[in-house]
Amino acid sequence: MLLTLLVAVAIVVAALLVVLSQLGGAGGGSGEDVGEFYSGIPQDGTTLGKGGAPVTVYLYEDFQCPFCGQFSREMFPDLVDDYVRDGEVKLVSETMAFLGPDSVTAARAALAAGEQNRYWPYYTLLYEDQGQENSGYVTDDFLRGLAEETPGLDVGEWEDQRAGDTFVKELEAVQSRAQASGINSTPTLVFKGPDGQTKIDRLTNYDQISSSIDKVDGS
Amino acid sequence: MALKGGYTRAALLALATFGVLISAYLTWTHFAGLSPVCTGGGAGCETVQASRYATVLGIPVALLGLISYAGLILSATLWGEVGIYLGFLISLIGTLFSAYLTYLEVFVIEALCQWCLASAAIMVLTLVCTSLATRQLTQAR
Repeated sequence: MLLTLLVAVAIVVAALLVVLSQLGGAGGGSGEDVGEFYSGIPQDGTTLGKGGAPVTVYLYEDFQCPFCGQFSREMFPDLVDDYVRDGEVKLVSETMAFLGPDSVTAARAALAAGEQNRYWPYYTLLYEDQGQENSGYVTDDFLRGLAEETPGLDVGEWEDQRAGDTFVKELEAVQSRAQASGINSTPTLVFKGPDGQTKIDRLTNYDQISSSIDKVDGS
Repeated sequence: MALKGGYTRAALLALATFGVLISAYLTWTHFAGLSPVCTGGGAGCETVQASRYATVLGIPVALLGLISYAGLILSATLWGEVGIYLGFLISLIGTLFSAYLTYLEVFVIEALCQWCLASAAIMVLTLVCTSLATRQLTQAR
């Protein structure tokens, strides 16, 4: 009797853990959710937020980097809600592509979406569906599927824009800026504002972001 | 009630200690923002650790494992009726949840973390120990 009760309790607790894990894991990956999330926030290429925002945060990331994915899923939404939406901060994505050829392919796809000012929804969808780095998950079908999910993106135009050797110069320029700033890991966040600049190269919690913004925002 | 099964208890204690070491390492890497060292040079551990399934309600799964293994050490220390039933409950929950996590690694995240697989194997072995002890307990009645 007691043993049966213990087994039943174990099954219930394990099932509860699975449900809670799935709630966290399901993620808001649909295009509709992404469209709603970015609604009302100005987007200009790889810049997100109002042009006159006093603080600029440069996000050095690689689309294949697992911790960039974790940042994008767990902290980025709060960063946008707390600081970008009200115009205090604008974000600039500095897309690095150093983990492998698939990083370049993914970066070009996102930058092509940026040509239509749809970089950020595509960025979110790429990270929501991130696979293991260099496992071959960045296929044409995968990228096209994300493009079709991205609200407002003209997929035909996007295909034309990402074809060939486009965006090579942009990616090289980011790499040069990263090297000049001593950035050699991702994600690295550089904060620039009226009170100077600071950098986070080992991001472990959201408080680091808040305190870095407070440090440079001039208030 | 005096219980036999000194080997079972010792095995449970040893397994739980290994489990504590593994989960403590993964918990530390989580909070320090570091990539776990993955044998073989693959990025599977990093991918799994950074995945959206690495936390439950914001609590790292590795920390849940650490608490479970600490509970198993307590179980082996107490032993007796309460200790054995506690150990059986913890190891059964741990085994069921580990099975789910292993399923996620193989079919959803599509990356394998050796530390997580080792922990899952240890958890299954602790269930074997506590099941044997529970069986012995019920037969002794």
